[in-house]
Amino acid sequence: MDNELNLTHHISHRFNEELEEVRSNVMAMGGLVEKQVADGIKALLTSDTEIAEAVASSDFEVNAMEVAIDEQCTQILARRQPAASDLRLLVTIIKTITDLERIGDEAEKLGHIAVKLSDKNASSSQFVELRHLGEHVKTMLHESLDAFARMDVNDALRTIESDKLVNEEFESIMRQLITRMMEDPREIKNTLRVSWCARALERIGDHAKNVCENVVYLVKGKDIRHTSLDKMREELI
Amino acid sequence: MNNTELIKKGLAKRYRREKRFRAYGLMAVMVGFIFLAILLADIIGKAIPAFTQHWIKLEVSFDPDTLGIDEKSDEATIRDANFNAAVKKSIRSLFPEVKKRKDKRKLAAMLSTSAEYQIRDQFLADPEILGQTKTVWVLADDDVDTYYKTADKSKAVRLSDKQIAWADKLLADGLVKKRLNTTLFKNGDSREPEQAGIRGAIKGSFYTLLVTFLLSFPLGVATAVYLEEFAPKNRWVDLIEVNINNLAAVPSIVFGLLGLAVFINYFGLPRSAPLVGGLVLTLMTLPTIIIASRSAIKAVPPSIKEAALGIGASKTQMVFQHVLPLAMPGIFTGTIIGLAQALGETAPLLMIGMVAFIVDIPQGFTDSATVLPVQIYLWADSPERAFVARTSAAILALLVFLVVMNTLAVWLRKKFERRW
Amino acid sequence: MDANIKLKNELVDDTQTGLKTLQGNSTADMEQEIGATIGQQFVDKPKMQARNVDVFYGEKQAIFDVNMDFGEHEVVALIGPSGCGKTTFLRCLNRMNDTIPICKVTGDISLDGEDIHSKAMDPVLLRARVGMVFQKPNPFPKSVYDNVAYGARLHGLASNKAELDEIVTTSLQRAGLFDEVKDRLQEPGTGLSGGQQQRLCIARTIAVSPEVILMDEPASALDPIATAIIEELIDELRQNYTIAIVTHSMQQAARVSQRTAYFHLGKLVEIGETNQIFTNPQHELTENYITGRFG
Repeated sequence: MDNELNLTHHISHRFNEELEEVRSNVMAMGGLVEKQVADGIKALLTSDTEIAEAVASSDFEVNAMEVAIDEQCTQILARRQPAASDLRLLVTIIKTITDLERIGDEAEKLGHIAVKLSDKNASSSQFVELRHLGEHVKTMLHESLDAFARMDVNDALRTIESDKLVNEEFESIMRQLITRMMEDPREIKNTLRVSWCARALERIGDHAKNVCENVVYLVKGKDIRHTSLDKMREELI
Repeated sequence: MNNTELIKKGLAKRYRREKRFRAYGLMAVMVGFIFLAILLADIIGKAIPAFTQHWIKLEVSFDPDTLGIDEKSDEATIRDANFNAAVKKSIRSLFPEVKKRKDKRKLAAMLSTSAEYQIRDQFLADPEILGQTKTVWVLADDDVDTYYKTADKSKAVRLSDKQIAWADKLLADGLVKKRLNTTLFKNGDSREPEQAGIRGAIKGSFYTLLVTFLLSFPLGVATAVYLEEFAPKNRWVDLIEVNINNLAAVPSIVFGLLGLAVFINYFGLPRSAPLVGGLVLTLMTLPTIIIASRSAIKAVPPSIKEAALGIGASKTQMVFQHVLPLAMPGIFTGTIIGLAQALGETAPLLMIGMVAFIVDIPQGFTDSATVLPVQIYLWADSPERAFVARTSAAILALLVFLVVMNTLAVWLRKKFERRW
Repeated sequence: MDANIKLKNELVDDTQTGLKTLQGNSTADMEQEIGATIGQQFVDKPKMQARNVDVFYGEKQAIFDVNMDFGEHEVVALIGPSGCGKTTFLRCLNRMNDTIPICKVTGDISLDGEDIHSKAMDPVLLRARVGMVFQKPNPFPKSVYDNVAYGARLHGLASNKAELDEIVTTSLQRAGLFDEVKDRLQEPGTGLSGGQQQRLCIARTIAVSPEVILMDEPASALDPIATAIIEELIDELRQNYTIAIVTHSMQQAARVSQRTAYFHLGKLVEIGETNQIFTNPQHELTENYITGRFG
């Protein structure tokens, strides 16, 4: 079996449609989450209160989508008793939407912090360090959703690899922030907020990585969680 | 117009057609029943006279002079004694005015020729009556019998005017009595209708069918089992199958010719014997039994066969423990149908001499005998009017025989089917 | 062990490709699609082994070069579309195909290492050791008791009435039917419900104490409750017997079996752990079949 997963061609047309529908709902949810993350980062970097408040309050949409997709999956499981790739697809979707929802939560967090920081009239320069990390995480999230959409193992593996970069970036930001706190104890409060933001972004990266791992399971039927990258490559390629 | 209306429009026509078809079916059944009823009514109507006979009361004097014997005569002499004279004397005594020789003969002819034997038998049973005069009931001649039974007296053309007058006088004097005709069931065939019976034919039929059954049943079932369960599928077996199916369609007279050529001429078996008749009918019945048995065996669900084999039964065990018991009702039905066909068969038996005039009742498989349908054929051919009734009576007997056989078949079927 | 299996598979593959070139063009097209059997064909403790099994119905070949093992105390499910040869293959295992004159089986099938086609192996004895349960419940038109006692009587397994009673009772108990029929042992077996009839047939089969039980769609004619009872029974029987089951219900195969074999057009396409077959089949045909796609 090659990498290309065949999700259509069921004898039951209705089944094809149901799977297609739930998949496109996941994509829609992914798009929404992606936008929230982008907005959250933008709010932080530009101190735009309006965007920040929008992000902080729009999480309910993502939550509602998660519930709806979960419901759809349960119904398909009950009525179609899917096996093999169909089963893996549904399991993957159920896991993926959890990750997406968490990403949404993290974005919400970014929004909240952005609102608070803009109140304090903190200079946006404090968040310059986050710009790089934010860009990385945005790309990673985008790529992971792409990998899911295309069900591309290679893309997924590449994205998993890039999580390492995000982690390194996070480490370096943390070092910088610690240095700053030591330099100027008055800034500790704001710096801690920045570190929370960094932490949230790092978490988003982790969730994006999970999505990619789910994609690998979906396509290859192998669970690659908690294994080293080298071993993954060895097993999959 | 939408579909519902279209369907509705045609509906009445469809129901009408259905009704008409049912009516046709019912009509066909009715026509069949009417014909059957007419046939039965005709046969029974014609047969009724045959079940009674008229007897004439005579005062017979066992005069030693007339009989030509005395007390010391041995049995052989008594058998040869002139009982005929005694009978003639006693009938003449009833009509003393008859003087002419020709008339006297006519008068004597009003009694059955068996009258002298009846008297002889009575005398043999009790020789003490020598010299005494006894009242004896003797059989009337068939023509007189018919005359009494015929409502429209003008049609009894076989009697002369004088004889009619005598007959009327006998009746008026109360010397004539109607009794149940036991002769019909006790005697064999006879040239004289009043003495003729179907016992010989019934026994002949029975022996013949017994031979047929004993031979064709095991042979037919064994053949069917072999062909269905054991025979390899090849050209020879196909050939055998085709031939068996063709045999069922061969005209029965051909089997008669075969029987004549093989059993009688080649093997030298006795002519007219139930044994040979049975052999010939076996040939005829075999295809029927084989075909019926094969379809009965085929109808045994393969799942049962597989179950038996799957549990480790050998093929023979499977056949005898499962296939045959389940096929038995069907096999019985086929056998009875075959035997019923054989029972009604005449043509092949004509060829092997079972059409001969045989008075004696057969006592075994090799005695000369005839069978019921042949008897019917013979009687139907006889000129005496009294045989018309007896033919019908024989047909009735044949029908009863068939009904008994079919009842037996149904009973056997039920009995074996009860084993689920 | 993995390495061993691989080596064996390679060997088998070689013979297969060898045969395939002999089989000519018409099948060659199909070969490209199906290819060699994928998966774990062989086990450590085989009860029955099939090697290079081909089956012909007259000129037509129904089974192509099947190689697989049935392990001890294992339920192996044979699945595949109608006419894929799974039932034909199952019937080879106790030589039920012998009863079909035009059917010819080649290759080696062994039970405990003994060739079942050898002269020393009597088909009657073989069928006592390898019992079979059929698609349609087919109790004999006899009483419940006689149905179960039939095999034991046939093979002379009981020397007296008490022993026979014992065999009948334990068989019915094992088949989970005893409590339901203990008061009507003398009533006809055909009077039971469909599910009870099928369990009666299973009792009849295990009354002969077979080592292997072949089941040909045993629950296809039953309602879901009766099916569940039969499936539960199969799971219990696994303690004592090796079971091969042909089924059209993939869920059933998934529920009852340890290994699953997928047949397609007379070929064994894929065989493996049931868990793996139903979550991650390796062959596209298997995938298409169990997910309900057209290939």
